[in-house]
Amino acid sequence: MVMEEQINTFIMLLLPFYLTSFCLYFVRVLKGPTIPDIVLAIDALSFDIVAFIALLSVFFKSLVLVPVATLFALWVYSLDIFVAKYLEKKEMGD
Amino acid sequence: MIDEILVMVGGAMVVVGVACDLIAAIGMLRLPNFFVRLHAATVGTIGGSFLPILGTGIMVLGTDFLAYKWLFFGGLVTTAILVLLVAPAGSHALARAAHRSKAAKVEPKLVDHLEEDGVGR
Repeated sequence: MVMEEQINTFIMLLLPFYLTSFCLYFVRVLKGPTIPDIVLAIDALSFDIVAFIALLSVFFKSLVLVPVATLFALWVYSLDIFVAKYLEKKEMGD
Repeated sequence: MIDEILVMVGGAMVVVGVACDLIAAIGMLRLPNFFVRLHAATVGTIGGSFLPILGTGIMVLGTDFLAYKWLFFGGLVTTAILVLLVAPAGSHALARAAHRSKAAKVEPKLVDHLEEDGVGR
């Protein structure tokens, strides 16, 4: 029981740092001048959220959150590939 | 004994990852153009996402309050390896497309060998 409280306190201490970096990434998402800037910032923000979900799955002791993190990482990869394809060929692929 | 060591190693990895994350967020905001911001994105994905997920997996192994800790460990290590493979591939494809389609300008530039060689268009 001591270890549970210690780990929960540890995760709660990390929370403000994560929220600060989310806000900083989100400023770049809002003001990025070109489309690749916005997509790159969404990319970094989403991988950040994946790491945060991994910590939250330990905090809430729920196994369901782990596949959510996996699928979210794959979703961001598909966003990158689609945007790159669109920028290069101006079409999404048949 | 071994449980405390696993929790401490995992926690140290998570702390290093959070520091990388904060540095990458500041760099993403401050650096001048898209191709320089790719460096900040690399710090943010490998140091700020791969390392904390792997550290969480190692930290879970040492805990005693989770019911299926080996299942947690497997899922988290799978996610970490996926991030390690997928993040450089995605950002590389995006950078290549942005340079070839001239969507992002190389604004404060000294030399651009790719443009001189006529790679792309």
